[in-house]
Amino acid sequence: MKSKRTGDVSHFWLHLFLIVFTLLSCYPILWVISIAFSGKQSLMIAELSANPGFLDHLRAIIPIPSSFSFSNFTDVMTQQPFAKWMFNSFIVATGTTILGVFLACTAAYAFSRFKFPGQRVGMMSFMVSQMFPGTLMMVPLYIIVVQYLGLGNSWIGLIVVYAVTAIPFCVWMLKGYFDTISVEIEESAIMDGASRFTIFYRIILPLAKPAIAITALFSFMTGWNEFILASIFMEEEAMYTAPVGLRFFVGGFSHEWGYFAAGSIIVSIPVVILFMMTQKSLVSGLTAGGVKG
Amino acid sequence: MKRLSGSTYFNLIGLALGFLATSSLLHSKMEQEARKQHLDTQERAAVIETIAVRELTQEAVNIPEFEETGLHELVNAWIPEPSSNQSIKIIKLSGAKLLAVAPASAEADIPRRLAMDEKELFDQAKRLKTARMVNQEEQKARKPEIEVEYKNTTQIVVAAPLLKGDKAYGMVLNERGVTPFHKLASYSEAFGPLAGGILIFLAGVLFFGDSKLFRAEAGRISIGQTALALILFLAMILFWNHQLSSRLDEFGQSQLTSLQQAHQHGLTLLNPSDLNKAPALDLDRFQQDRGLLTANGQISTEKQVAFSSELQERAGGSLVGFTILGFALVLFFCFGFARKLASTIREHRYAYLYITPAILAMLVLVFFPFLFGISLSFTDSNIYNSSLPLAEIWVGLVNYTEILFDFELFTKAADGTTLINYENFYWTLYITIMWTVCNVAIGVGIGLGLALILNTKGLKMRTLYRVLLILPWAIPNYITALIWNGMFHKQFGVINQVLLMVGLEPVAWFDGVFTSFLTGIATNGWLSFPFMMVVCLGGLQSISADMYEAAKLDGASRWQQFRFVTLPSLKIVLVPAIIISVVWTFNMFNIIFLVSGGQPGGANEILITKAYKIAFEQYQYGYAAAYSTVIFGILLIYGVFQMKMSKATEANT
Repeated sequence: MKSKRTGDVSHFWLHLFLIVFTLLSCYPILWVISIAFSGKQSLMIAELSANPGFLDHLRAIIPIPSSFSFSNFTDVMTQQPFAKWMFNSFIVATGTTILGVFLACTAAYAFSRFKFPGQRVGMMSFMVSQMFPGTLMMVPLYIIVVQYLGLGNSWIGLIVVYAVTAIPFCVWMLKGYFDTISVEIEESAIMDGASRFTIFYRIILPLAKPAIAITALFSFMTGWNEFILASIFMEEEAMYTAPVGLRFFVGGFSHEWGYFAAGSIIVSIPVVILFMMTQKSLVSGLTAGGVKG
Repeated sequence: MKRLSGSTYFNLIGLALGFLATSSLLHSKMEQEARKQHLDTQERAAVIETIAVRELTQEAVNIPEFEETGLHELVNAWIPEPSSNQSIKIIKLSGAKLLAVAPASAEADIPRRLAMDEKELFDQAKRLKTARMVNQEEQKARKPEIEVEYKNTTQIVVAAPLLKGDKAYGMVLNERGVTPFHKLASYSEAFGPLAGGILIFLAGVLFFGDSKLFRAEAGRISIGQTALALILFLAMILFWNHQLSSRLDEFGQSQLTSLQQAHQHGLTLLNPSDLNKAPALDLDRFQQDRGLLTANGQISTEKQVAFSSELQERAGGSLVGFTILGFALVLFFCFGFARKLASTIREHRYAYLYITPAILAMLVLVFFPFLFGISLSFTDSNIYNSSLPLAEIWVGLVNYTEILFDFELFTKAADGTTLINYENFYWTLYITIMWTVCNVAIGVGIGLGLALILNTKGLKMRTLYRVLLILPWAIPNYITALIWNGMFHKQFGVINQVLLMVGLEPVAWFDGVFTSFLTGIATNGWLSFPFMMVVCLGGLQSISADMYEAAKLDGASRWQQFRFVTLPSLKIVLVPAIIISVVWTFNMFNIIFLVSGGQPGGANEILITKAYKIAFEQYQYGYAAAYSTVIFGILLIYGVFQMKMSKATEANT
């Protein structure tokens, strides 16, 4: 009886702390939402009077817009070419996911299940390539992808580059997970006369679903969120991806915070939903990858 | 048939592959040189014609009673029948006028003002004027005074400046067709020598097959066959090279004839009797004499000889290199390495099958660009010379010494105070290290704390908290960065509103070195703690309750339970997470670039954003590549150190 009561008391403080901390950590998100729904382009949630007092400042902090309006959302989709940019981003991110998962799964399976000459070197070079600074690769990548292969202003160029940049992390992650899957299942399948491909496709892939979900999520996020390479590769305005477009609204000399806020909410929703759907497997996938490191 | 054993086939494949490699490389090199020469000749012809028209126009412009209206007719008289896809325009700078057009039929109403959509022409004329002024001022030819540009593969545009006295007057623009390039030789012709070589090899093996030297047994090198293959390889290559060279020679002669014709055409335009103008035709794009012509406007005989031999030299320059490559390939097969390789691949064919797509993609889009970037770091590549071959802009280690041996961390201001030189590499390195350490510490601290709290037994609404706390990680980080950039705004930002609310002065966050640093830390801390929290939660959940039970039975206090049960289990997941997040944070481009932009005065730049700015704002590709290579070096040292550490700890436990 006594121990249960002390438990409740300490939980009260934990809840208080968690509520305050969660509010704080969600504040920037609430802030963006209130600007998006304000219908204005201003950075301020509420206008300040000439001589603002404590309550005025408090009003300017509380993330509830002074007037509700959907105009920022409708304007950004219709008056600005944002819908087209979103579509570009969607194609690029989906393509990146499919290609990235395919490349990572096959490579990770080989690294996990086979012993072959070059295995150690291959795995090491994948790890080392994670450390290659992006700035070193940009100029050569531009030359290769845009000038040699002629894939500037195209979805394919970005898809291939994104998928490949995501490979090392995904392989590292998946290999860790494949390692935890018992080899005996495969051995008995071989006994039953299953081919290597069947084993991979029918046994390993279904078992590794959580880790593959992470890989897919990671690849999708890479494609959906990257903007530096996209801004270098996509010179035509019609081929911009959403991040490149978003930066237009508040970068340089433009201060269209309303469009930016509405746009970022639209852009974030798919990623956040995907993230939440896969977040359970996220934990198991990440730690499984981590255990093997 | 008994004589043709497995290793003979390998020797044969080696011979064929070696020849194919060397011959195709030679072929493409020759074609490339020929194409270059062809374009050069075409360009030259267009330039000579343009110079001739320029000289004539200039003469007209410089006579005192010059009438602008008359120029149009004059130009059309000079070029009575322009080729079908040719057009010549003359533009006057002052008043932006189009003075003449040939062929005349294309335009009525000449002279007229340039239209809005012809602004490019006016800009080009101004650019040429500037180029001339710059060159005169610097007393050297740095900027091209004649611009040559391909409109597409079949049209070339040449622009030359017009002078009146010593002043820039306008521009002559000559657009004309280019004759397409015809290949020197089809590569299929190489199959002749290839077939010949293979037949001779087979004949040799069949004829000498019984002798000791020629016997091909598994696992042993047949000296006779190897020697025969190498000799045949050399003979085939020499034959092929001879064939290509004679084609190139013919081609060189035809090029020379075209050049002579171009000069002749120019002289006819200028009026052949007026020989004192002839040397002008031989100016290159920098207005330098090419030294090709004799006094009477003809190409001198010794230059003619030199022309052909230079072309041969350029094309054949790589013959030795290519031959060595092919030679090595033949040896590789004859010495049995290829056989071993093939059997290795066959043995592990599933592994290689699975790994090939990823490896190929990585080679093309990661490792090749990486090596390319490294080689750029040894050059002086920048926006002006990026089209030149790397060998021509090679500077060795200069970039590296400039970065690493510049210890001028402090500068004295005019009033004697000491200032930190924010451009210095070591300052940026210091900021980067501080940035990484602070961020990882904050991420781990908050993440671990929250994970411990969320892992409390019987805590209600745990899932809700976790979902809400993961949100910052789920949102794209460039959006996060831009949001925080807005929140830190000096006048309208929410953070200063909070300060005002509690009665403090607002802070100009991006104006101070320390406050600007804080903005980055706050943003990155916000988006990085969820990752650590998730990792720690996973680690905590993997600890079985039995462990704690056992610890309790042993009388361990809560701290001891944490210290001896929780921490060691967490370490397994936390250490790799920390290792990877150090690398991530070290290269966290978006936050610095989009939140503070490295303000004030580049003081808060981290290495990666600095490298980006050098490359894409100052356009010093070579220097930026060296900077990036240094970043890579630092991370590599860190990685090796980290691995040694984890191995040591593994050995201890």
